[in-house]
Amino acid sequence: MSQYAKQLTPASAADFAAASRNTFEHLCAIVPATRDGQETIATAAIVAASDLRKAVLFLRDTPEFAYDMLIDIVGIDYLHYEGHKGSRFAVVYLFKSIAFAAHRFQLKVLVDEEHLNVPTIADLYQIANWQEREVYDQFGIHFEGHPNQKRLLNHFEFVGHPLRKDYPAQKRQWLSTNDPMIDQLELRLKENGIDVLDPMPLNTPAVEDLIKGDRL
Amino acid sequence: MKAIDKDGEKLDLLTVNIGPSHPATHGSLRVLCAIEGETIKSAVSEIGYLHRGFEKMVERGTYQQVMPYTDRLNYCSAMMNNIGYCKAVESMFDIEITERAKVLRVLISEMSRIVDHTICIAAALADLGAQTAYFYYFVPREEAMIIWEKLTGARLTNSFARIGGLYRDTYPGFESDVETLMVQFEKSVSDVLGLIDRNRIFLDRTQNVGIISAEQAISYGWTGPCLRACGVDRDLRKDQPYYDYETYKFETIVGSKGDTYDRLMVRLYEANESISIVRQALKRLQPGPVNVKDARVSQPQHEYVYHDMEALINRFKLVYEGVRVPKGEHYDASESANGELGFYIVSDGSGNPWRIKVRPPCLTQFAAYAQIIEGGMISDAIACLSSINIIAGELDR
Repeated sequence: MSQYAKQLTPASAADFAAASRNTFEHLCAIVPATRDGQETIATAAIVAASDLRKAVLFLRDTPEFAYDMLIDIVGIDYLHYEGHKGSRFAVVYLFKSIAFAAHRFQLKVLVDEEHLNVPTIADLYQIANWQEREVYDQFGIHFEGHPNQKRLLNHFEFVGHPLRKDYPAQKRQWLSTNDPMIDQLELRLKENGIDVLDPMPLNTPAVEDLIKGDRL
Repeated sequence: MKAIDKDGEKLDLLTVNIGPSHPATHGSLRVLCAIEGETIKSAVSEIGYLHRGFEKMVERGTYQQVMPYTDRLNYCSAMMNNIGYCKAVESMFDIEITERAKVLRVLISEMSRIVDHTICIAAALADLGAQTAYFYYFVPREEAMIIWEKLTGARLTNSFARIGGLYRDTYPGFESDVETLMVQFEKSVSDVLGLIDRNRIFLDRTQNVGIISAEQAISYGWTGPCLRACGVDRDLRKDQPYYDYETYKFETIVGSKGDTYDRLMVRLYEANESISIVRQALKRLQPGPVNVKDARVSQPQHEYVYHDMEALINRFKLVYEGVRVPKGEHYDASESANGELGFYIVSDGSGNPWRIKVRPPCLTQFAAYAQIIEGGMISDAIACLSSINIIAGELDR
């Protein structure tokens, strides 16, 4: 705890830019990476999906960079984006360093429509679990090896991925039941070392009908 | 459900839902717990009950039309979200706002921070059964709402910031109103502190409850007062100063243990620091324009619009086509009451945002919630929930 207690002196914007450029140069020695021409301030590196975990481990564990906080994972759909060529989707990882106050770096992975798979980093950052679920929910990008890939914000009966550009904003869907979440709870109990002897029965058909409103 | 834990002890588990409609969930959150007696053995949480598709809605309008939606993210400190969003868009233009707008934004942000922390502590204490603090805090908060109403025309969801400045200048007598309010807030903070400082019930209910270590909090992406409660001295106002925050004199409040008590106390003392920042900002407030003179973002004044063709075209374009943000992708963050509020903006060069991703501080905190309540009692879970200050508006977007 004590290692974080001291407040570093604030650095200027130029220092931040220099730090992220420096990170980029070192990253290039580890995995093949290219500069993203789109970014305006923080440096973004485009890496292949297969190199993602290697790059993330490098950013997190190299003591001179120590990007130990994953700020966010952003999905982007470039369908019909003016002048855009190549992969339709992109996943952007925003990193921030706690040890070096507010140094930032971005990683970008391009995702083809035919091959919607990105390796998970849920085991490297705890928050990545939910953030990847959100990207899956909104864009339908699969995170290989994710422990519990379910929708996060939308209802579990929802069909389609709403933030894709071809999903009509006005479309409506009928969503009725509650997610019992018993499977998730049993998974969590197992993680905590508790063995369930008699799995809890899901609702009986009569109760299911009642929830759906058929018997009202 | 019958179960065996790792020591071979037999458990008789009962599954209980806390929420989505529970008085303590302050919004709609659901936590499914497996309990043994009163002890939570395992818990999982579900969000999305207030999901209204913020990120889909904003893609249909112009950049200016996003403004009222940002109010509904954290509705306890609505104007801070406006300011965070405007700051992100302005940084894509590389616009420097006017001196008066800067000071006013700091002033409004800090007042919002006081109100937000106030609501959090008052609600947390009410959840613990201490109703009095609620009234101590809500009297000055009502005065703050009256100032908001005079300043912006609305009480709760007040869209006041604009890209390139503010909606309008302050009303006559604003400074004296704020000064009076600060005296009231100062008194209420010390009153509430007097209620809970050495209160046995409060200390027993909050100390060593819902502990999270600094390493875990960082891995979960915690920011703001909740991270500072774990002993991590990080504040964007100090680390990446914006709006001349580096020239204001204030301390960051840091906890030691990362329990419910620390989180509440960090907020309580932070309100005191914010009061000091507001007073410093009041001293700096000089007359001047609140909007930048930049044809790309701010509308020309009416007298020009009615007499000058170019100004008329400028206004028409800004209203109908929106602010044309330079093409590119950019992430910008500000320190909101709950932590780092970030906006990742993808622009295709037109007046409509291609994509705006909000980075809500609440999401990271609630993601850890189910884990940190495990092993505690149900009543501890309630105490812990109010201390991490989940605002469903920004959690679910």
